[in-house]
Amino acid sequence: MSDQTSETSRMRGLMLVAGREIRVRGLSKANIVSMIVTVVIVGILAALPSFLGGDDADEKIGLAGTGADAMQTQLDAMGGFDVTLFDSAAEAERAAEDGDVEAAVADGRVYSENGLDSAVQNQLDSAWQAASVQTNLGDAGLTDAQIAGALTVQPLESVTFGDDSGTDSITGYFTGLVISIIMFMMLMTPVQYIAMGVVEEKSSRIVEILLTSLKPWQLLGGKVIGLGVISLVNLVAMVAVGLGVASATGMLSDLPPGTASAAVSSIGWWLIAFALFGTLAGGVGSLVSRQEESGSVLTPLIMSLTLSYLGAIFLLNAPTSTFAVVLSIVPPFSGIAMPTRMAIAEVPAWQIGLSGVLLALAAAGALALGSQLYKRSVLYTGSRMKISEALRRAA
Amino acid sequence: MLEIKDLHKRFGDTVALDGVSLAAAAGEVVGFVGANGAGKTTTMRIAMGVLAADSGQIVYNGAPLGVEQRRRFGYMPSERGLYPKMKTAEQIAYFGELHGMTRAQARASAAALLEQLNLSDRAGDFVQDLSLGNQQRVQLAVSLVHDPEVLVLDEPFSGLDPIAVDVMGTALRDRAAAGAPVIFSSHQLDLIERLCDSVVIIGNGRIIASGTVEELKAKEVKQLRVSVDTDEDLTGRLPGTVTRDGDDYLVEDTDDQEVLRIAAAAGRVTHFAYDQPTIAEIFREAVTR
Ligand SMILES: Nc1ncnc2c1ncn2[C@@H]1O[C@H](COP(=O)(O)OP(=O)(O)OP(=O)(O)O)[C@@H](O)[C@H]1O
Ligand SMILES: [Mg+2]
Repeated sequence: MSDQTSETSRMRGLMLVAGREIRVRGLSKANIVSMIVTVVIVGILAALPSFLGGDDADEKIGLAGTGADAMQTQLDAMGGFDVTLFDSAAEAERAAEDGDVEAAVADGRVYSENGLDSAVQNQLDSAWQAASVQTNLGDAGLTDAQIAGALTVQPLESVTFGDDSGTDSITGYFTGLVISIIMFMMLMTPVQYIAMGVVEEKSSRIVEILLTSLKPWQLLGGKVIGLGVISLVNLVAMVAVGLGVASATGMLSDLPPGTASAAVSSIGWWLIAFALFGTLAGGVGSLVSRQEESGSVLTPLIMSLTLSYLGAIFLLNAPTSTFAVVLSIVPPFSGIAMPTRMAIAEVPAWQIGLSGVLLALAAAGALALGSQLYKRSVLYTGSRMKISEALRRAA
Repeated sequence: MLEIKDLHKRFGDTVALDGVSLAAAAGEVVGFVGANGAGKTTTMRIAMGVLAADSGQIVYNGAPLGVEQRRRFGYMPSERGLYPKMKTAEQIAYFGELHGMTRAQARASAAALLEQLNLSDRAGDFVQDLSLGNQQRVQLAVSLVHDPEVLVLDEPFSGLDPIAVDVMGTALRDRAAAGAPVIFSSHQLDLIERLCDSVVIIGNGRIIASGTVEELKAKEVKQLRVSVDTDEDLTGRLPGTVTRDGDDYLVEDTDDQEVLRIAAAAGRVTHFAYDQPTIAEIFREAVTR
């Protein structure tokens, strides 16, 4: 048997196991139904802001009369307005009356159905003032360049004396919240399925036939890969539908520019954290022989996942505190804490690097520990095995 | 040729195997019998590589058995196991693939086996929805799907109805006829006698007897059974050790021609032959010896 053929057969065994998980679990009714439900919920959540109020769409404003051009320049610079120019004040007035535009500004008057939202009113006011100043200066004989120079005002720079750890943007907070929830769900569910699958194979004794043609690492690795792929597909479906709905309703442009990169890096953190928790779940799952007992061995894993999640939620309120820094660097908590923190605050590159390396090291350790536990205890039946006992047993 | 050589295995203080050796030549069906706890399952699990021996080795065609070769073996463990929530045909084919078949080969083989086992109409059902006996048949299909080179079956007949027993028996003989060594354990000694070329008897982790069925029978102490049509009691007159079994005389340790002469003189001899011990008797004899 050449090295190459045994290499291919090793990979084939791994892929066959992963393929079975994907077919049997991923294509099961339960998974498909839960995936559709989650995706629909994500879609609704993404569409919700535009249902409520719909004030995220551009305001339709009609302009006419003197200063209309200057007004349009101002409104375009502010953004968020969809401007229509009318030939006469009467036409603009009629458009506002018919509801073709939200409001119409003509000859110093603003027409609207029932008055305006104060934010819009303020913006229109300041645009009107700026436009009027521009017109007046022009009337006073200044050139366009002089007017532009006179109107250019440096905005106030904000200097605060307190700790600026407070959430600087509400969007950052929500992005962080969504990331931590999704990370938590996407780790919790497959981790439990891995443990259940291991116990199922053990309690049904099928593992004895499997191990005549597979190595323990193929059996465990294939299971982890299979469930990883299923979760990844779920994750991608959620993100795709969420972003798709958001862009269809025009919400997407309002999200901060970092959102996409935060989502991409979260997938990286998820992969490492999943390798860590997944292989450990397989290892501890193999310690028991009956499904009823799996809860007790999984408790430490579920506890640390829950703690990571709660820690990340807590971190959202104090993203630059020492607690947040430590939590986002120490594995296994960093798996959820770091991408959450990255969504809400600037994180120094060295901290990201350190956290990533530590998490990857922990995952490698978990891989070794989980597969050793699995290898040594998967064929053992009877009462629950202690971890120390499993590690003492000769492989 | 599959050879199991001098296996030793302890579980804590229990000595499960104490120098077990047996062999199955190409085309030979070997029956493996022994009392509960004698060590049959332990021996077979070591042969299939799911349990490590303390010492001893498994030799296949003259060389130590490797993982790749073992993948071409068919194994039925004593504790049966199938994925309960996987469809019957899909499951059988999956095991075919694990044993190195392509997907198409595995599917074709699974379909053929289901046909042979009268399970074609259950191909799309979950295994957990089948009756226990039918699950056994699926288990058999799983061990045969890849057309194995060697069969190692731990109590393959337990739980099967007579028809399934016949199917299983035929499958074993077919595999052997195709040149595969076959080893199976069973407590149904009539089946062993009917199907096996040779028998290995294990007791307390040691091989206590082995050989072809004829050899084992020949080794047994011979008893001469004589039936004579007479009112006379011949017990005192016949030579050797004489016991009565109903109206028959059982005679041991003597000259059979002398017995025949005396019996014929006493009346019409209706039966005169050596008793053939059954495997069951040999087994009882061997384990109590
Ligand atoms: N995992 C184990 N741990 C401890 N002892 C074991 C284990 N497996 C087997 N034994 C012991 O090894 C001995 C041989 O058991 P084995 O299962 O091989 O017997 P067997 O011949 O298959 O019996 P049966 O006819 O009941 O199936 C028994 O004494 C048994 O208790
Ligand atoms: Mg047994």
